[in-house]
Amino acid sequence: MSRRDEILAACEKVVAMPTCVRKAGSLLDGPETDLARLGRIIEHDPGLTANLLKVVNASDLASDRPVLTAHAALDVLRSPEVLRFFISTGVAPYYVHVIAGYDQAPSQFLQHSTTVAIASRELAAALKLDVPDYVYTAGLLSGIGKLLLGAYVQVDLREILRLVFDEGMAFDRAEERMLGINHAELGGIILERWGLPDALTRVVCHHLRPDEYDGRDVVLDLVHVGNVLAKMIGVGLGADGLNYEVSPRVVERLGITSPVLDSVSAEVVVELQSLWDLFLECSDDFCNL
Amino acid sequence: MNNTFVVGISDMKLSTNPGDVIVTYSLGSCLGVTVYDPRARIGGMVHCLLPSAAAAREKARANPFMFVNTGVAMTVRRLVDLGADKDRLVFKAAGGANMRKDRIFDTGVRNFKALMKLLDRNGRRLTAKDVGGTIPRTLFLYLDTGRVVVRSLGKESDL
Repeated sequence: MSRRDEILAACEKVVAMPTCVRKAGSLLDGPETDLARLGRIIEHDPGLTANLLKVVNASDLASDRPVLTAHAALDVLRSPEVLRFFISTGVAPYYVHVIAGYDQAPSQFLQHSTTVAIASRELAAALKLDVPDYVYTAGLLSGIGKLLLGAYVQVDLREILRLVFDEGMAFDRAEERMLGINHAELGGIILERWGLPDALTRVVCHHLRPDEYDGRDVVLDLVHVGNVLAKMIGVGLGADGLNYEVSPRVVERLGITSPVLDSVSAEVVVELQSLWDLFLECSDDFCNL
Repeated sequence: MNNTFVVGISDMKLSTNPGDVIVTYSLGSCLGVTVYDPRARIGGMVHCLLPSAAAAREKARANPFMFVNTGVAMTVRRLVDLGADKDRLVFKAAGGANMRKDRIFDTGVRNFKALMKLLDRNGRRLTAKDVGGTIPRTLFLYLDTGRVVVRSLGKESDL
């Protein structure tokens, strides 16, 4: 069995992504469920968002159109009972405990995911692009493949970093050389298997190499640059550092300039400051990342 | 009591207690700058996101530490207010990384240039640096000696 096949087989077992589930669960168990607070936790958490979208899109609760954002999903699941059902069934025993390969603590992964999401959305606003609101969700989920691939990356990290620094290879290309798959493609496959809509899975799959997507997708372009911006800002940077390639075609297509990047970076940092309380809540011992 | 102060993005911390440590994590293209008076044994660290306040004047008014030119100058001012001697200050810098093979996303380079311009204009020099490349960095300042340490990819080195 090749490393790729081995990883894809492991991916079959991952029925839920690790999340700040206990925090969300404890909110549901209170005498009066604070739906707004619960919504805020879910909306900024990649694992919970993925679970929520998985449950809603697989059920009869959604209408004919796929549900693409946590906010829209919560609108469908207004009742605390349904939400409790989602929390308890959407989270199963197969946890990915650590993402040591990327040298990211649990809260760092959450911080980085949120930063990509905010950066993608703020970039759209700065460029005055009329884009669907699932750009946030797509950004939030973009790195989700790391949660599974981390264990494999850890085994081969020394060689991956050698390829990066000695042979000038981007981190995802080195992953692919060593493991037969990179974390973006794996993330797309996981979400596809969960039945998440194509609009999200293709962005996750191609966000590191948008030029390999056969088509035009402004959300993909925005998440590609959003991910770059998040790495530059430095929130939750791991062992992969800034070792990724930026697509000149996307930069040109979006009309990105240094002033735009500066302005968006400043907005993102200001917005992040309002979310530190969430990061702190989710960095405690109860969060099994 | 000795403390560890964590500097966030667009943030600055300083201390007059020689037992304290100041640290900033996860420097990407941001620039971390330490400023230390070895005789008074007081110092500070600033973590700047962008090179110049000209990029966003309103934000600079709200938080000067977001920018290299205003952030480093403000750190010096605060230290002098606390008794540091401007002429004794030792400046060290880390961070300023960039995306691989890219020229538009060159914030790291611009951040470092902004620091050098500020120091040159004031007749000051940078004593040590670990900048550029594509690696994330964590920066420590030990207030007892002014020792500055950079940690990256699990390795530590003195600056």
